Amino acid sequence: MRFEILSEQEVKQVHEASLEILKRVGIHTASQKFKEILLDNGCKEQGERIVFTDDVIYKGLKTVPATFELYGRNNSYVLEIGKKKAYCQTCVGTPSMIDLDTGEKRDTLTKDLEEYTRLADALEYINIISPVFPRDVPQEIILTVETATLLRNTSKPLSICIESEREMPYIIELLTAVAGSAEALKQKPIATIPISPLSPLEYGYDPAEALIAAVEAGLPLGVEPCPMMGSTGPMTLLGTAVQHNAEILAGVIASQLIKPGSAVTHSSRATFMDMRSGLGLWAMPELGYAGAIMNQLAQYANIPCAPGGYCGASKTTDMQSGYEHLYNALLEGLVGSDIIGSAGSLDNALISCYAMLVIDNELSSVVQRTIKDFEVTEDKLAVNIIAEVIEKKSNFLEHKHTRKHFRAGELWLPPLGDRQTYEKWAVSKEKIEDKARRTAKELIAAHQVIPLSEEINREFDRIIAYARKIEMK
Amino acid sequence: MSKKEEILTQLAEAVVEGDDESAITLTQKAIDDGVDPLTIINEGLTKGIKIVGEYFGNGRYFLPDLLLGAKAMDSGVRILEPLLVGTSRESSGTVVIGTVQGDLHEIGKNIVAMMLKTSGFEVIDLGVDVASSKFVEKVKEIKPDIIGISALLTTTIGRQKEIIEILIEEGLRDTVKVMIGGCPNK
Repeated sequence: MRFEILSEQEVKQVHEASLEILKRVGIHTASQKFKEILLDNGCKEQGERIVFTDDVIYKGLKTVPATFELYGRNNSYVLEIGKKKAYCQTCVGTPSMIDLDTGEKRDTLTKDLEEYTRLADALEYINIISPVFPRDVPQEIILTVETATLLRNTSKPLSICIESEREMPYIIELLTAVAGSAEALKQKPIATIPISPLSPLEYGYDPAEALIAAVEAGLPLGVEPCPMMGSTGPMTLLGTAVQHNAEILAGVIASQLIKPGSAVTHSSRATFMDMRSGLGLWAMPELGYAGAIMNQLAQYANIPCAPGGYCGASKTTDMQSGYEHLYNALLEGLVGSDIIGSAGSLDNALISCYAMLVIDNELSSVVQRTIKDFEVTEDKLAVNIIAEVIEKKSNFLEHKHTRKHFRAGELWLPPLGDRQTYEKWAVSKEKIEDKARRTAKELIAAHQVIPLSEEINREFDRIIAYARKIEMK
Repeated sequence: MSKKEEILTQLAEAVVEGDDESAITLTQKAIDDGVDPLTIINEGLTKGIKIVGEYFGNGRYFLPDLLLGAKAMDSGVRILEPLLVGTSRESSGTVVIGTVQGDLHEIGKNIVAMMLKTSGFEVIDLGVDVASSKFVEKVKEIKPDIIGISALLTTTIGRQKEIIEILIEEGLRDTVKVMIGGCPNK
C-alpha cells in the first residue's frame, strides 16, 4: 500500500530526533545485567543514565531481521511478519470482561480465558492470541497458567507479554513441550514475547531482565513501552513519537547486542491523557494517527511493526466502538503494519468483550482486504471481456470471467455485517451488536480446537504443578 | 485597594495563571512588605488555588492548569514554611501516599497528591516501588487519617490487598482510612 502521513524527509527528521534523545539523555535502568550489555558494546555512562553513541546505534540496528515467521502449533498457521499483512492480535491483560449473557462488566475469570481464546481460534481474521487476565489464578504462576490455557484452547500463534523474567522458564517449558524440542521452538517460534519498559526512557529492573530472558530464549521479542502524551510524553504528537521511537529503538538495539539477528518487533502503544479525568485514552483519531506515524518510523529503521489499533474509549459494542476500532486499525494498516493489536477491547483496552472480538474479526477482514496489493493484469483490466459482452449483447452475470473472479474473492463478503433486502432484515431487525453476541455464543458452543495430545496435556499438568511448588512456597 | 491587598491579589492571580516564578517573587515581596505569613497563605496563595479548583470544576480548566496552579502555590508555601514554625495551619487531615512495590508508575498518584494538597491536606509522599512493610511502618509512625495506595500493573495490584491484610493483622485497620487507585481497580 502506498500511503503515508509524514513525507520521507519528515520521517528522517523524526528518526534523527529520536537518535538525538538516545545520545543526549539515553535511558536509565536498574538492571546491572542490562547496563553491562549496553556498556560493553560502547554505550557510555552519563551520571545515572546510559547514553548511546552513533556506533552502537549503527551496530544495533543493522542486524535487525526485516522479516521473520511466526507459527501456530502443529504447523497450523504460518505468519509472515515483515510483509505488512496487518495480522490481527487480541488485547492482552484485560482484568475485566463484558459478560456474554448479562452484558455487564465483571472480573475476568479462567473460564473467560478459555472461552475467549476458543472464540478467537474460531474467528478467521483474528491471527494472534494474547491472554486476557484472569483474577482467579494465583499471581505467582499467572503467566504459566495463562500460557498453558492458551495452548489448550487455540492452535494459533500466541503473544505472551511478560512483566518480569520470573516465570520465563515455565513458559519456555510449555512452548517446548508443544514444539517438540528447544531447537524446534527456535526454528518455528509459536509465540512472541513483548516486554514493556516505562516511559519516559526507563528500563526498570523487571522489563530489562525480561527483555534479556526473551532474547536468550530465542523467541521473537516485542518492545512495547506505553507513553502517554501530556503526562509521560510531551504534549505534541510528534514529540511523543520522537520519545516513543527512542524508547523502542533502545530495546531493539539491546536485543541485537545480546544476540545479533534475533527477531524483534517495534510495538508502539502511544496513548493520550484525557485532560479532565486523567484517563489514558486509546481513542481515535490520535491512537491510529500516532500508530501510523510510528509504523513509518519502524519502516524507516527496517524493523517489523506491531502497534495497538483495534481499540477506543467506548464502553460497549456500539457505533462508537465500531468507528473507533476501524479508524485506528485502518489508518495503521494503510501505512503498513505487520500486526495490529488490542482486538476485542473496550474502555481504552481495560475490558475484553466477546461481541467486540466478533466485530473486530469483521473489521480485520476488511482491513486485510483493503491493503491487499492490487495486481494489474490483462485479465483484471478485462478489456476483452467488456468488448465481448457488448459485441454479443450479452451480460456479465452469465460470463465465466464473473464466476472466476467472484470465486477468487473480488466481492468482499462480510463475515458478520448485514446485506439482506430490507424486508428480510425486517423479520428480526437484528442489530450488529446482537448478531455479534449471538455469533460468539454459537462459536463458543460449537467450535472445536485442534486438541493437544494426552501426553502433552499431562506434561502441562506437571509443569504447572512444579511452578506452583517452586513459586508458591 | 491597599498596597497589601494589591500584592495578595497579584499573588492569587499568579497561582491562577500557574506562574510559579511570579508566585515566588510576589511571596518574597509580600514578606518584605511585612505582610503576615499566614495572611499571605490564606488570602493570597490559597485564594488562588480555590479559584483554580473552581475553574476545574466548571470545565474552564484542565489537569495541566490544575497541576501548574498547585506547583505555583507550593513554591510560595515553601518560602513561607520556615516563617510559620510554631503557628498552626488549618489542615483537613494527613495523608500518606505511595506506589506499591514492583511498580514505578507515579503520574496518577502525583495528581491525587496534588489535589489533596490543594484541598488543605498534609501529604507525605513515599514515592514509587514502596514495600508493603514501609506503608505499615508509616501508618504507625505518622498516624495519618488516610493512606493512599497506588498500583498500575495487573501484576502489582495484589500488593494493595496485602497492605490492607497486614493492617488488619496488626490491628491498625480501624485507625486509618485506606484509599486505593490505579487502572486495574476500575
